[in-house]
Amino acid sequence: MHLRKITLTALALVTAAALAGCGGDGEDTADAGQSPAAQVEGGTAPDEGTVLDTPFDKPDLVLTDTNGESYDFAEQTAGHATLLYFGYTNCPDVCPLTMSNIATAARSLTAEQRADLRVVFVTTDPERDTPESLGAWLRAQGPDFTGLTGDFDTIQAAARSLGVYIEPSYTDDNGDIVSTHGTQVLAFLPTDDKAHVVYTEGVTQETFARDLPRLLEGELP
Amino acid sequence: MTRARAALGLAAALLLGPALAGCASDADAAGGGTPELTAEGAYIPRPPTAELAGGFLTIENTGDADDALTSVTSEAADSVEIHTTEGGTMHQADALLVPAGGELRLAHGGSHLMIMGLDSRPAEGDTVPIQLHFEKSPAISLEVPVRPATYTGE
Repeated sequence: MHLRKITLTALALVTAAALAGCGGDGEDTADAGQSPAAQVEGGTAPDEGTVLDTPFDKPDLVLTDTNGESYDFAEQTAGHATLLYFGYTNCPDVCPLTMSNIATAARSLTAEQRADLRVVFVTTDPERDTPESLGAWLRAQGPDFTGLTGDFDTIQAAARSLGVYIEPSYTDDNGDIVSTHGTQVLAFLPTDDKAHVVYTEGVTQETFARDLPRLLEGELP
Repeated sequence: MTRARAALGLAAALLLGPALAGCASDADAAGGGTPELTAEGAYIPRPPTAELAGGFLTIENTGDADDALTSVTSEAADSVEIHTTEGGTMHQADALLVPAGGELRLAHGGSHLMIMGLDSRPAEGDTVPIQLHFEKSPAISLEVPVRPATYTGE
């Protein structure tokens, strides 16, 4: 029955217009209702980090880690190359992809380098992400990753100080809880504890694998 | 052509909401045509837990009438929702247009399936059964392969 013909190959077809809202074969598709989720401004390739002209200071951020203990971000990560991402676990696409890209890249480091690296995931949905649920979700991706939850206003203020804009979770017309994740990973250097590089959503594990050894040495990618 | 397109745009707007009106193709949805659907490139990135997985695929419509993906089910999960993403937030969609002569892409960064409450956390190489339900066409059953967590179809 030809209507039910199923092809599981042709993966390449998924790629080119992957971010287009809908396909169609006419010129109408240019004004399709959806916009790309990942946008990079300033001409940097979407799969590369962007070096900031003015690096960000570490935010004053004390939250609760996945062991239920207090975690002072600036204090715990001082002198270590640190990646920071704001997301939530009830997110099936970008959040786990981002953390898995970092986890896969980190596996290519030496044990010494891995021990030196800090990867911190801060939830944007603290009402649903408890230390327990966040811990299970994060450990499945990177056993050494730190997950933080706490007061949303504190998280939002810290994110904003880094150019990451998130909104509180709300319930939409369908009765679904809608949360926001950040669209970038910030890389802090061990030398001055400032964020010098921003990685947006198009960045792959290869980019992280190439850049992490340099970041660990305090060098820009 | 213009009238047909306008008529389709109106039909799509009434049927699916204004967000999808831009997806209109040249076919005349009001006519007696038939959609012909195939599902391609389906995959599930290996999820961190059994609680929540994303699903991606492209549904191609080689027929001469529009159709719409109205729901998705899986015997291996508590529920499956269809989501569209705008910026950093996602919303559940009631139905997504599969335009005649076109396709509906559920791709990384855009729309996706949200598969909730899997029986267990699948490993790479496992498959997850899902059924795609449409407004007009018969349902399509798929065994969707689980890919590495970093896989994006590229």
